[in-house]
Amino acid sequence: MQHSVDPSVIFGENRTLGPGRRKLMLGALGVGVVATAASIVLGLAGDGQRFQRAWLVSLAFFLTLSLGSLFFVAINHVTRAGWSIVVRRQAELFASLLPLLALLTLPVLVPLVLGSGELWIWNDHAWVEGHHHMHHKEGWLSMPFFVVRVAIYFAIWTRLARSFLRNSLAQDADGARVHTGRNQRLSAPALLLFALSVSFASFDLLMSLDPLWFSTIYGVYIFAGATLGCFAVLILTSMLLQRSGRLEHAITTDHYHDLGKFMFAFVVFWAYIAFSQFMLIWYGDLPEETRFFANRATGVWGDASYALLFGQFVVPFAGLLSRHVKRNKPALAFWAVWILVFHWLDMQWLVMPNELHEGVAQPALFHVLDVTCLLAVGGIWVAGYAWLARERSLVPERDPYLGESLAFKNV
Amino acid sequence: MTSIDPTLVEERPGDRPPILDGPNDYASVTEDVCRIAEPPVTQTPKGWLMGFALASTILLVLGAMVAHLFLTGVGVWGNRSPVFWGWPIVNFVFWVGIGHAGTLISAILFLFRQKWRTSINRFAEAMTIFAVMCAGLFPGIHVGRVWLAYYLFPIPNQMQMWPNFRSPLLWDVFAVGTYATVSLLFWYMGMIPDLATLRDRATSKVRRLAYGIFSLGWTGSNRQWHRFERAYLILAALATPLVLSVHSVVSFDFAVAQLPGWHTTIFPPYFVAGAIFSGFAMVVTLMVPARQFFGLKRIVTVRHLEAMNKVILATGTMVGYAYGMEFFISWYGGNPAETFTFVNRAFGPYAWAYWIMVSCNVLAPQVFWFKKARTSIPIMMVVAIFVNIGMWFERFVITVTSLSRDFVPSSWGYFSPTWVDVLTLIGSFGLFFTLFLLFCRFLPTVAMAEVKAAMPEPGHGHAERPPAGGAEPAPEGGR
Amino acid sequence: MNPEHAPGQGPEDGVHAVVAEFSHPHDLAAACEKVRDAGFTRWDAYTPFPVHGLDDAMGIKPTILPWVVLAGGITGCGGGLLLQYWANSIAYPFIISGKPMFSIPANVPIMFELTILLSAFAAFFGNLLMGGLPRFSNPLFRMPRFRRATSDRFFISIERSDPRFAEAKALLSGLAGAVVVEECPVDTSSDEIPRVVRYTGLTVGLLALAPFFLFFTARNTTSTEPQFHVVPDMDFQPKYKAQTENDMFADGRAMRLPVAGTVARGELRDDEHLQDGTIDGVWAKDLPPSITGDAAFMARGREVFAIYCSVCHGLDGRGDGLVTRRAQQKGLSWVRPTDMLQDTVRVQDIGQLYGTVKNGIRNMPSYAAQIGVRDRWAAVYYVRALQRAGYASLDDVPPGERAKLEKKGDD
Repeated sequence: MQHSVDPSVIFGENRTLGPGRRKLMLGALGVGVVATAASIVLGLAGDGQRFQRAWLVSLAFFLTLSLGSLFFVAINHVTRAGWSIVVRRQAELFASLLPLLALLTLPVLVPLVLGSGELWIWNDHAWVEGHHHMHHKEGWLSMPFFVVRVAIYFAIWTRLARSFLRNSLAQDADGARVHTGRNQRLSAPALLLFALSVSFASFDLLMSLDPLWFSTIYGVYIFAGATLGCFAVLILTSMLLQRSGRLEHAITTDHYHDLGKFMFAFVVFWAYIAFSQFMLIWYGDLPEETRFFANRATGVWGDASYALLFGQFVVPFAGLLSRHVKRNKPALAFWAVWILVFHWLDMQWLVMPNELHEGVAQPALFHVLDVTCLLAVGGIWVAGYAWLARERSLVPERDPYLGESLAFKNV
Repeated sequence: MTSIDPTLVEERPGDRPPILDGPNDYASVTEDVCRIAEPPVTQTPKGWLMGFALASTILLVLGAMVAHLFLTGVGVWGNRSPVFWGWPIVNFVFWVGIGHAGTLISAILFLFRQKWRTSINRFAEAMTIFAVMCAGLFPGIHVGRVWLAYYLFPIPNQMQMWPNFRSPLLWDVFAVGTYATVSLLFWYMGMIPDLATLRDRATSKVRRLAYGIFSLGWTGSNRQWHRFERAYLILAALATPLVLSVHSVVSFDFAVAQLPGWHTTIFPPYFVAGAIFSGFAMVVTLMVPARQFFGLKRIVTVRHLEAMNKVILATGTMVGYAYGMEFFISWYGGNPAETFTFVNRAFGPYAWAYWIMVSCNVLAPQVFWFKKARTSIPIMMVVAIFVNIGMWFERFVITVTSLSRDFVPSSWGYFSPTWVDVLTLIGSFGLFFTLFLLFCRFLPTVAMAEVKAAMPEPGHGHAERPPAGGAEPAPEGGR
Repeated sequence: MNPEHAPGQGPEDGVHAVVAEFSHPHDLAAACEKVRDAGFTRWDAYTPFPVHGLDDAMGIKPTILPWVVLAGGITGCGGGLLLQYWANSIAYPFIISGKPMFSIPANVPIMFELTILLSAFAAFFGNLLMGGLPRFSNPLFRMPRFRRATSDRFFISIERSDPRFAEAKALLSGLAGAVVVEECPVDTSSDEIPRVVRYTGLTVGLLALAPFFLFFTARNTTSTEPQFHVVPDMDFQPKYKAQTENDMFADGRAMRLPVAGTVARGELRDDEHLQDGTIDGVWAKDLPPSITGDAAFMARGREVFAIYCSVCHGLDGRGDGLVTRRAQQKGLSWVRPTDMLQDTVRVQDIGQLYGTVKNGIRNMPSYAAQIGVRDRWAAVYYVRALQRAGYASLDDVPPGERAKLEKKGDD
């Protein structure tokens, strides 16, 4: 039986980013801008293709985290979940970074518009001419239509994330339940739009890197990784906030336990989806499908494939199995960081080895541009978070389910 | 049938409506549930007897069809070149899919702490087991030489042969076998405390003995409960990936082949969503008349049905997503055989089946976007039956359209079922309903112990919420 | 663990336990804390449903069941892998659909299922056995009041074997909410299994053994009786087998000869020039009239030659094909195929070349089974071209093409 705690205890908490916010925002922005400049210089001076790919990896990494957060918000509203209220504001803020990420697509979209086929090879007309399997979808994978689609995806996500955050913030101000009702009503259609937009966005941004390859489960695969990453990031930000003396009593071991359970569940779900995709392609053994895994079966990318198998499934599965681990903060933090590292590797693994020109050597596993691009997107993303959080509460402090969430005890 | 429960008050966002309707205490829950199973054989309700007579007659039809099949051979079915996987596999996948809701409600919703599940989980679990039995029937009888059906299992034999573990058909044997076993254990284990209740209330010696044996001497000791709860949680945690795996493995039967329309990577999650979808529809189909007939309206409320309808809407939309993705990728991939298969499904000789599937599975549940439809008994009943029909046709479309027109036009054909096919399918419903009616009559149809554990404690101030309509400790305002 | 007394062996005063009844779970929980703090060890609480917080109130230690389940799961996973490895790689290896004997991706589903199966067995049977179930005889069942323990009442029972039993009754009577406190007598009834159960069990057990007995006798006896036909349709089919009698025909044979002059479809060979390459027994000098020797026919000939002839004769017909070179490399005794460009072959009529393909010559076998009539002509048509090309001069090249050859130099 769940008992309720008087939700007003939350007002005794240090529940805003407060004085450290400016420093965080400017520091992160500084890192982001410097890293962006460095990346662009390195890209222009040296390997432009690597720059575009590394940028796309970093973009995909943070984009999936924000999309996972959007999903987290929507699914908690649609299921009327009570336990998660104390961490929901974090997810709302991360999701609201989606318009910022739209801006961060420019370093890859501008070269595309200028006619570069270095990243998305279907923009290289000579190459398309030589592949008759491309001809029927030339209209779909054409620069103008592609850019329009990307704009539509970001418009949908921005709209949804803004609505969720706006209603939630309005409730902070007036405490009216009607805001909860609005978000609940929005959540079901939001999930439908989310499913469609994320699927097609992953087809466009990532799957079309090898435009000859296709897999119906690809959208679900991206979704699984996104949600997994979202839980890891929620665990880590909650811990960082608590370590700096914020929300010390609102978020309890039981919330971490539940977030840990979800992280564990999505480790398994990701493995299930990844295995389904791999096994069916391996078993069917059709050349137009195996090309994806063939590109990732040899050299350093073969090692990366094994690293993903163990790093994103086997090891964290064993590590997160025990409830003691999920209730132990340092251990859970370790696994959350681990998951994020391998989620990044997953994105790297999807974007990098798509060599379609015969005789071209495989790209290197790591490159200095990977780091600078990650710092660039990450810095701007964190700065955006600090800017969005402002003086706002880090908990939806007058949510009707808050009392339930504060009292939450895991079985 | 009533259209709306009088107790279903409009709730405000943020409310937690009670799980049960009306005034309930532990004794009334016991009474409501036990009185269904307790009347002596001579006082069996007439309606039940009529239902049982009908169901067992249909079961006899199944028996006759199986006997006819065994004595004559699989030629009595419509399975022939090029469609060698005809109705039996369609029926198998249909029934296995139905069998997914029970474990989903029991296990996944348990892990998600959805307490409303306690009112319906027993029902759904029983349904799972009977549906899996119906499903298991078809692979068993379709092998032609049924006395060699044990070849399906890795049993040491005089020919020193072993089954091919690289074949998805063998995975199926393990998946469905494991699923049936674990579902049975889960069902039975959850039922032990309730069987003990029936034992302790039994007035006749035979009943006391029978329930006594199956309740294994359960006393409700907290030292037993402590371990029981942990075991139940573990079984739920095991059943959750299991339930996903079973229909995934069933989908592998199709998806590892290179046949257009079968070989696509989204099959595993798509099949799982479809299975949950059809299973929930079947639960609604059964639950609506059962709660009426057995007087369980206070325990299985319209809110429970509404929650199930939401799941139906969600999974139905997921199935629609998968249909769309398949279509899109069949074009995007540029394989002319794939493209043809999907165009052929929608506009070829089986277009009628395809559009039945789409309208029943994707369009019909969309009415559940409206609360009025979700809480209206007639509408949900109609939609649930549509979904049952639609999901059968989904398996028909997948199996038959792909097989009947593959790569080589010279080997195309048109599949038609025989009367034996039709009567066998109908007969399998007889098996299902016979078992189901027996369950309703003799076993605890609602998980009493779980309902009681989820109830607010009567007469105690710490209740999560007072009964419907009451005031609540409003968290709003705050300051 | 439940403390146990074999029925009839209780202490002299005939008391098994003192039992207190409560009507509210919260009273029970409070009472349990008191009993725990008073230092009792052999006692238990009985409830119709699991009451949360009672484990702590009673001081029950966490169960080791999860470890038992983990052991079951590991056994299932490893056992599943071993079973598949042993069965398909060692005991009964065979290749199917191009998969390796030991294919891990294909073994994952069964490993997974067996992991779940054995874990579930461990959870189910571990729960029962560790809880001392089944236990059909219990003195508490003799108390009419106790029957409500599975419906709506809550009980605490302190057993006779507890060292502090003397204080038990006083303690229980003093507890808040204890409705009734009474003594549970020792079970003095017979511990024999009821006769119905015994005989039913015995009968079922014997019947269950019957199939094994039947198998055993069937395997260890010989019989002159004909085989038992389970389904006669397959063993006795309404058809005549080869070489059997049939009275319907005068000659008494089931097999019928074809009508005189019957020709199988596509087997009519009345065009001597086309089929044999001769005209009235003399090698033909040209292609048969039904075949037009154009560029397409030449291209086909080149294909056929490359597929069937070049492996021995070489792509240029000089007799140094891959097989020849390999045999020479290995030092095998190998008759080098004829150089088709040498004069003895060049003077042969095209019909004779055709005849060689069809009938074979010396070491070369007939290719009639592999190459169809038209393709044989195509191949020899191409051989004619090769022979001419081997002795070609620049004059043979069309004027437009000459420039190309000159540019490429001595290629």
